[in-house]
Amino acid sequence: MATRKKSLLKVIILGDSSVGKTSLMNQYVNKRFSNQYKATIGADFCTKEVVVDDRVVTMQIWDTAGQERFQSLGVAFYRGADCCVLVYDVTAPNSFKNLDSWRDEFLIQASPRDPEHFPFVVLGNKVDLDNRQVSTRRAQQWCQSKNDIPYYETSAKEGINVEMAFQTIAKNALQQEAEAEIYNEFPDQIRLNSDRNNRPGNADNCQC
Amino acid sequence: MWIEPKELLLLLPGLWTGEMFSKYFVLQKRRGHGESGGFGSMLVGTFDSVMSTKPAPYRILHQTPSSEISYEIAIATTQDEIVKDWEWLQVNLFNVLNEMESEEEVTNFTLCKIKSLFAQNNQDDPGESADFKVKTSTFKSIFKMPEEERLVNTYAATYVKNKIPRKGHLYISLNHICFHSYMLGQEIKRIIRFAELEDISRHGNIIYIKTTNNMQYNFTLIFDASEAHSLIEQLNKMAIQQLIQNPESPVVDHDTSRLTRLGAANTKNSKKPVLLRDLTARQKSEEFRVYFRLPQSEIIDGKIKANIYTPYSKRFNSGHILLSPNFLCFRSDVKDLVSVVIPMKTIKSVEKKDDGQQRYDNQIVIITSENVPFVFAQIIDREVLISKITDLLSRIHIPVSRERAKYDISWSKQTALMNTFKTNFSAEMQKKQEEKLARWDSHFRDFGRGIGMFRTTDVINLIVEGIPDKLRQEIWLIFSGAIHDKEMNPGLYEDLVEKAACIKDCFAHDEIDRDLPRSLPEHPAFQSPDGIAALRRVLQAYALRNPQVGYCQAMNIVTSVFLLFCDEENAFWMLASLCENLLPDYYKDKVVGAQIDQGVLNELVETHLSDLHEHLDQLGVIKMISISWFLTIFMSVISYESSLHILDCFFYEGAKIIFMIALQVIEWNRDKLRRCQDDGEAMLVLQKFLEGIHNPDYQVPPSTDKRKTERTQTQTVQTLIHEAYTKFGEELTQQRIEELRNKHRRLTMRQFDIDNEKTIVKAFVDNPYFERDELHMLLTIIREEKMALKSVQQQQKTHANMSEAPSFPQSPARAAPGDSSGARHEAYCVNYEVFHTLFNELTPWRKCTTVDIGEKLFRLTDKKSTGVLDFGQIIHALGLVCSSKYTEKLKLMFILHLPPLLSKSEVERARRPRPRNKDDAEEAIEAEDFFDDDPSESIEALPSPSDHNFDADDYALVSATQHMYNLAGISGHTFRDPLRTPNLSLNSNASSLPAQPTRASTFYVDLPSDLAAGGASHGTTNTRADAGLDEDRDIGLSQQGRHESIDTFSDISDLGAAKLTPPQPTAAEQLMLNVETISNFSQISDLVATTRMERADSNNTDTRSLGSLGYLLDQPDDSSSNRRLLPHMRKENFQLLWRSIIEILGCVQDEEMRRAYENMIEMGNSNIRKEPSVESFTQLNLGGSGDEQPDRNGNPTTSAAEPTSTTRLFIALEEELRQAALLSGSESISSGKPTPPSSSNASSDSYGWNISISQFIATVLSVPTIVKGFITRTNILEQIELLQKKRRKCLSTNY
Repeated sequence: MATRKKSLLKVIILGDSSVGKTSLMNQYVNKRFSNQYKATIGADFCTKEVVVDDRVVTMQIWDTAGQERFQSLGVAFYRGADCCVLVYDVTAPNSFKNLDSWRDEFLIQASPRDPEHFPFVVLGNKVDLDNRQVSTRRAQQWCQSKNDIPYYETSAKEGINVEMAFQTIAKNALQQEAEAEIYNEFPDQIRLNSDRNNRPGNADNCQC
Repeated sequence: MWIEPKELLLLLPGLWTGEMFSKYFVLQKRRGHGESGGFGSMLVGTFDSVMSTKPAPYRILHQTPSSEISYEIAIATTQDEIVKDWEWLQVNLFNVLNEMESEEEVTNFTLCKIKSLFAQNNQDDPGESADFKVKTSTFKSIFKMPEEERLVNTYAATYVKNKIPRKGHLYISLNHICFHSYMLGQEIKRIIRFAELEDISRHGNIIYIKTTNNMQYNFTLIFDASEAHSLIEQLNKMAIQQLIQNPESPVVDHDTSRLTRLGAANTKNSKKPVLLRDLTARQKSEEFRVYFRLPQSEIIDGKIKANIYTPYSKRFNSGHILLSPNFLCFRSDVKDLVSVVIPMKTIKSVEKKDDGQQRYDNQIVIITSENVPFVFAQIIDREVLISKITDLLSRIHIPVSRERAKYDISWSKQTALMNTFKTNFSAEMQKKQEEKLARWDSHFRDFGRGIGMFRTTDVINLIVEGIPDKLRQEIWLIFSGAIHDKEMNPGLYEDLVEKAACIKDCFAHDEIDRDLPRSLPEHPAFQSPDGIAALRRVLQAYALRNPQVGYCQAMNIVTSVFLLFCDEENAFWMLASLCENLLPDYYKDKVVGAQIDQGVLNELVETHLSDLHEHLDQLGVIKMISISWFLTIFMSVISYESSLHILDCFFYEGAKIIFMIALQVIEWNRDKLRRCQDDGEAMLVLQKFLEGIHNPDYQVPPSTDKRKTERTQTQTVQTLIHEAYTKFGEELTQQRIEELRNKHRRLTMRQFDIDNEKTIVKAFVDNPYFERDELHMLLTIIREEKMALKSVQQQQKTHANMSEAPSFPQSPARAAPGDSSGARHEAYCVNYEVFHTLFNELTPWRKCTTVDIGEKLFRLTDKKSTGVLDFGQIIHALGLVCSSKYTEKLKLMFILHLPPLLSKSEVERARRPRPRNKDDAEEAIEAEDFFDDDPSESIEALPSPSDHNFDADDYALVSATQHMYNLAGISGHTFRDPLRTPNLSLNSNASSLPAQPTRASTFYVDLPSDLAAGGASHGTTNTRADAGLDEDRDIGLSQQGRHESIDTFSDISDLGAAKLTPPQPTAAEQLMLNVETISNFSQISDLVATTRMERADSNNTDTRSLGSLGYLLDQPDDSSSNRRLLPHMRKENFQLLWRSIIEILGCVQDEEMRRAYENMIEMGNSNIRKEPSVESFTQLNLGGSGDEQPDRNGNPTTSAAEPTSTTRLFIALEEELRQAALLSGSESISSGKPTPPSSSNASSDSYGWNISISQFIATVLSVPTIVKGFITRTNILEQIELLQKKRRKCLSTNY
């Protein structure tokens, strides 16, 4: 990971099962929508060249499985992510509620250097459908409360806002990448049982 | 117990001492056992330990005066047992023998009698030799194992530690490996749990073991090393599987009764212990089951050598017949040459046949219901086999399709979808299918058809080419074994479907519904409602059948393919067989089985493609890419037409084919992969390659799949399978995969633990008590203690018998699905027993023996009364006790000794300990009397809300005390610390932290009165009170509707957070500075006046909030709870509190302590005289509760109402202190003070006596000994390591 070129951006798409993660990725990368995607098992993967601030960068988009029992596999994918895209389905309130846990989970598993300012982007997908259940205001409020996460309402089917959302994603990821330049490896590899004996005595011990 | 009489020529009198004698018998006791110490017994002990035979400590010998020979006729491990045998001899033999004439006659008669006794006893107790029984009881006593733990076998072994070899014995029981050696006074014990093994290996005679604690052991076994090794592997496997199956109760309990073995495997000849034989049989049975794909209930029952006649080759093939309750199987000695599975129920006749051929005599012919004869020859035990088959046939239970009530069937079973949605084969494809069909037909003619076909390598060759569509259902069902399950459970599927249809609002069903259109969307069958409905029914039925799996994504993909070729019910049974047999644990939580197999694949890559391994490992590729390969058998990555062929092979080969294909795919892309710079690139390479795999034999018209046109074709699936077989087919055996799985099962589970631990530590790293590494250790020890056999069994016991001491209602609601962090933490929740053990082993307060502090602390902490503490609560409970925050610790002590935590009856008991054997009923009556006599003790009478702001007052008190001591010339430096204590916020729940920064925590004890009565009698009248208690508690709680309002803050955390300086440290510091310049009491009182809060009016409705069982509720919304009500303490409790403090300090009271004690007694007395409503109760405000507080800058609020009252109290206190000092000075000289808690007159004058927490803290803090004793921080790491060592070495714990 340390050797990775700066022009490579790693983007992770998270969200509940069937909110349209795969569709969004494919709409963005291949400009195509199909209702024939299989449920993603493990993870799927695409790359796309994007131009951000006159720079050409390669965007690696990792599309993950939404079902909860696959979450423990997440660690492998989250490593070294530059941006995390949280997707919910505007017709499924639960998928919106779960954004919290997806975000927490990502922060815990990926342990980015600066969790407070790690770039997230929230996408409310399927706005083309009629039976909308999560209001824009509610979503925006949530995003604001989480350090002003950029929020887009998209439709992978109609291609609404997808391009714009991913442009933001790329931009934010690039920013993160620049900041993280010095920071190559992930930090705390906690070694159990190692050198616990030569631990210095605790400072706030008895003063008598 | 009686044993088969054994001749003894050498009596070795030195080793034994005679205990009882008669004319012909002597009862002896082994030296080195029991009390009789001395060098001699030590030597014998060593001798016993070193020699492989470990004799029982007691025995009875038969000897005659003139004979040199003695006979050992009975042995026993306890004196009682042997005396019983001795008495039997006395009653039954002594007289008879005395009447006999010759000694020879005596001996013959005795031996005969004993033999018959022995035989008789052993009839009802099959197999276990007396010798082994002795070993078992030795094992239990050496390692203090509970009765339930069963010994499997022992091995003489040498354990090398620090280069010194220790000769002794390895005891292998169901859950532990133990080692014991006793050499010249040095005893060594080691206990290792099977579930904690990380590595097991064997080199020659040395078995190497590494545990998850990084402890390493080497045992050298001269004999049976390989047996011991495979036993260890097997038990470890069972332990880990149990862990996957049921993480809350990870104890292996082997039920032998499942194995009703019949004759063939001769039990008599084997000298091995029953359990060992049983485990070996189980292992064999497992292999057998997997090989023939039999249902899980099948257990091998016997194995006989035989030759089978194969008509297609017209010859006999050697091999073995294997019998299980429902099947007769044959397996050739030559691998994969031929095998046969004959279901018992199809057997029509079994006949002997002798056609005179010399070579193939002893034949039997089995004819099945399809009139197919199977001829077996050269069966040596032909009679046995026939009788056994007859026996099995007579027991066979053929499930009949029950007469099912006709539910309103709104569905009908879908037949194979390919019938409706026909594939439009081109003429060429059609021809290919026909050709294949013809070849299969001819194969059927030669080898038979159906379950009983001869399975040979020929069939593999046919399968590899792809099964024709029409035969897929038949062949898949047979080779997957699904057909057996189906036939054994007729009608089950329909039942499940109908039951599932009635379930509403089910999480799994929602998930299923979401995935239905995303299973095989490209196939027209799944674009139609029929296909979708069938898929839904199958998945829902399976989720109902196996709730542990429920629904896992990927199941939809495989099931949809099954549905294309099989009817709905068959598809269901194939799915069942996939989840339960073919891909074990794959679809469970965390897809654990698939993760294990990823580990296996990783290792296979390392062995077979070693040049590539390092690179791939670095990229982390295998972990990332292969999960979908395993979970969908490549169906989500390879095109449908191609993956069908892999699926065909899969049913024949099992998971092996997945590994083979995976290896082949990686190998083909070797060069490309090596050039990859990162994981994404590698993933792309493999993705492209897999997409390009095509199947020229099965081309569907291209229109059905748009994506296909883009694919660049890479390889045909036929080549892929063929190459995979050639390259890896030989080396990858089922056995090898099993071995690797065992290893990676361990590693994967371990990795889960590590990941889990890391995450939890991350979540709690901001706690005020423990460092990161301490948290890790704490988690480790919690896990270990939870898994310890004893605690698990205790738990099971309490489940079974709720009346057994402190019982708590079970946790009401488990974490909802989706709440992964909850589930993660759940693994580290502890129940009362575990907490108590941890408390006693790790904290310094274990020294307190009079009062069970651990129990109080648990109840205090467990405010929701769930019976379990989560990790956050544990941190705060143990953390505070181990910390150096002495003021908080003392406060906690005070609280722990308040009723109802320390109930009246407990106080009573502690004061005059009763003999244990007292009648329970009597005690109950006494307890009742107690309450009748003393109504003031009941809850209502106790606390009334009081009006002093704890913080301000407390500070003032402390400062004043300090000042006084300063005046008196005593160094006051110890007092500064509490004033400086930083105002850490230690909410246990980090996420709620920003939500309520200025939350007012209420130290508030609440319970309805009837409850507390229950609580008070708790412990005295165990059964009654406990039963009532739980009920009452629940009722009480629900009545008050407090369940919902309990928030997630832990009480202990409140206590810790609410330092003496709730508002902010600056105020306190300012205070302290002021204190130093204070020169007279009026200044102090001003200070007090300015800092104190507005007086809170008593709110009588709250008074009955009695506190009980540790409910310190936190209700920020409730206006009445804005103040903390902490009742004053009564004298009895105070005396116990004092005793506890002394016990914790572990020293004799010194002058100052005594003085402080007397001061407080005096203070309590003076409190009686005061107006109770004003001064006898104190309200504590431990946390910042808002507007009444001094503002952020530490400036006192001006609205100080009634400053006089505080001042008055304060001055009174000062006076008391002064007086007391004088008094005690004189008194201690005049009369030797009685030690406080024993005072007999306490109860008489205790009425109305009470002391507030402020008074207590202020006084106690003035005693340097106590402060010194409480300021010490306990190093939890050392304590944990100590405990681990104790556990490992089976050292007794003192507490």
